[in-house]
Amino acid sequence: MSARAEETESKENAEFRREVRAWIEANKPSHPGFKLPQSFLEVESERQFTFLRDWQRKVFDAGYLGLDWPAEYGGKGDPHKRQRIVSQEISRASAPFLVNVIGLQWAGPTILAYGTEEQKKRYLKPILSAEEIWCQGFSEPGAGSDLASLTATAEPTDDGWVVTGHKVWTTLAHFASWMILLARTDSQAHKYAGISYFLFPMDAPGVTVQPLVKMTGEGGFNQVIFDRAPMKKSALLGQLGQGWQIAMTTLTFERGAAEGTGGGSATPSESSVRAVAQLAKRVRREGRPAADDPVIRDRLAQLWITEEALRLTGQRARTAGLNMEDRPLATRLMNKVVYSELGQQLTELACEALGPDAGLWLGDPCAPDKAEWPRAYMNSFGVTIGGGTSEVQRNIIGERVLGLPKTK
Amino acid sequence: MRIEVPTDFGYTDEHGLLRGEARRFLNERLPMQELRKRADAGVAFDRGLWKEIAQLGWVGLVLPEAHGGAGLGWLHLEILLEEMGRRLVPGPFLGSLLAGVALVEGASDAQRARWLPGIASGDLVATAAVVDAAGAFEARDVASTAEPVEGGWLLRGRKTHVVGGADAGLVIAPFREPSGAVSLFGVDLPAAGVCAEAETCIDPTRPTARVAFDGVRVGADAKLAGDAGAAWRAMLVRGFAALAAESVGGAESVLLTTRDYAVARKQFDRQIGFFQAVKFPIVDMMCGVELARSLAVGAASALDQRAACAETLARMAKAQASDVFANAVRKGVQLHGGYGFTWDCDVHFYFRRAMWSRAMLGDAIHHRRWLAASLFEG
Repeated sequence: MSARAEETESKENAEFRREVRAWIEANKPSHPGFKLPQSFLEVESERQFTFLRDWQRKVFDAGYLGLDWPAEYGGKGDPHKRQRIVSQEISRASAPFLVNVIGLQWAGPTILAYGTEEQKKRYLKPILSAEEIWCQGFSEPGAGSDLASLTATAEPTDDGWVVTGHKVWTTLAHFASWMILLARTDSQAHKYAGISYFLFPMDAPGVTVQPLVKMTGEGGFNQVIFDRAPMKKSALLGQLGQGWQIAMTTLTFERGAAEGTGGGSATPSESSVRAVAQLAKRVRREGRPAADDPVIRDRLAQLWITEEALRLTGQRARTAGLNMEDRPLATRLMNKVVYSELGQQLTELACEALGPDAGLWLGDPCAPDKAEWPRAYMNSFGVTIGGGTSEVQRNIIGERVLGLPKTK
Repeated sequence: MRIEVPTDFGYTDEHGLLRGEARRFLNERLPMQELRKRADAGVAFDRGLWKEIAQLGWVGLVLPEAHGGAGLGWLHLEILLEEMGRRLVPGPFLGSLLAGVALVEGASDAQRARWLPGIASGDLVATAAVVDAAGAFEARDVASTAEPVEGGWLLRGRKTHVVGGADAGLVIAPFREPSGAVSLFGVDLPAAGVCAEAETCIDPTRPTARVAFDGVRVGADAKLAGDAGAAWRAMLVRGFAALAAESVGGAESVLLTTRDYAVARKQFDRQIGFFQAVKFPIVDMMCGVELARSLAVGAASALDQRAACAETLARMAKAQASDVFANAVRKGVQLHGGYGFTWDCDVHFYFRRAMWSRAMLGDAIHHRRWLAASLFEG
């Protein structure tokens, strides 16, 4: 942000923003020379992981993570605005993303909301420092959009439970120490009531992590098979049978519909339209700069409008009087569907700007920007599908926000 | 091209009070059957209603207190126009607003004192003749001319789509001088040589007119004293923001109506809103309305803060709100099925409003062209 934003920001926050910006400029790592993942969905190799973990550690050590988490759990107890400033500045500087996204944004805030004192003391700080990486065990081969039909079970034992089942799309499972896990604890209960929420140790015996290959050909997400894998009593988060309710809280964080995350950002960087505009000036279509093509110009202008509108919507969501009184959740719940589809349209338009060179793939020496754009376009589907597909999001908005009849 | 959106919209409880007051008044005073009565009778302008609105302080809402206005900001106006848009308030509000802005931004103190109090009180219906020949409205395209003559000017040109043009006592319009410079003139009506002829407007709530200036003699004091280029631009930018806000309100109304119909109407033994082919377009309508509202609020707030990004945001708001309103009425008619195709269904009134408002002051294509230039060349 520039002069304009700083004018309306409180003096203290503006000062903090300048401090953070200067720190990032001085400390952001230079490109390591090997291929970096575009997002946390595709951290493939040990060296990629180490590079990203070290960066998060550095940000934490500088005091810029968990700002709005309570001090007794490794945070600072500041207003959320401060953490948002850090996230905005990381994104603005095109610095690497914070690798422990699932811990910072989904598991952490959920533990803060539902955890016991002991759990909060145990888990939160290592999330911030990236000492312990988290993954998410929600989806199963037979339970995707209909998540509540999941069949993984946690069977009680003398000192805890044993888990049996099969989870898929488990991003970062191969680096994770912990998993937020949904498992059925009561097969007789109604399907929503029989689910419990666990903090599961990934080093337990009986756990097999197998890589899945994404449509880009890259790894980074996995499936996890549980064969009577044990966990202690203390692994339960909240009450037995409260899992569905807690999972909805996690998904609210995951979809960017609530505040209170420890830092980082899963949304596209705020400079994405600008990046495509720069690209369109550099590349040629039909012998002319793509930026001269009136159709490309018109469509990019539209995406710019959407990008700014989305940014303003995020700010408006925080002012109750500027939201429609009969649907106060609209501005929050629409966030995921709009930003994920914007990212998809933007990366697709970038590919169209490339002309025939959009046909070159990773590894080709002549591929513009090392084929980052076709790769990003393919990866954008991870965002329109993951965390609740755009179709499920539209059901949720239609039913919960607009009061339309339920699909189920 | 990087634009810095306001981090604080400046919203206060006072804004909420205005919204509540406007909604109560319009619910009571302008229910749909009242609007239909006026449309059937071909009455788009009603001096009684205009006086009432003026007495509420709406006509002079953003005009300076020193000249009889309420001295409030553009966020107030955004909220008021959303509410007015929801109810399709008929009359020359838009024309009056633009004329007031042109005077505030481009007139001398004497000129302001001469005209603004009458505008704010509702006694003087004013308008700005924005659209010049061939549908153009940006200052560079003004083809009407002002020729200097003894003691004043001779004005020639044709203006179209002038809101309230047939009822106005004052019209503010741009004319090009022989030097090439564009100046703004305030012409009291009726005047010899001015022919204001009501148009048959697609939107029966907009009293529009063609206004011909056929060698109209005006005094030297008719020319607005300030920087005409800046005043015209300021007026246009505020016009973009105003039409955007009003269109957001219109689209909101269509969204709610269509939602209610999808809940009430049953086919195949189910509420039709159950079907995703019906549900999803309504959800997309809502997302569009919310995005457009954010831009309209952002533009208003940027105007209040005199921020450099105000023009960019106002153009974004106009583009988005135009398209969103057009999409809402398209889907609104379609999802009401056979009923939606009838005169009895209210949606067509909004359809008409959307058609007019999209085309006026630049549609999305126009504004995206400007935005693209700013994005690539700015």
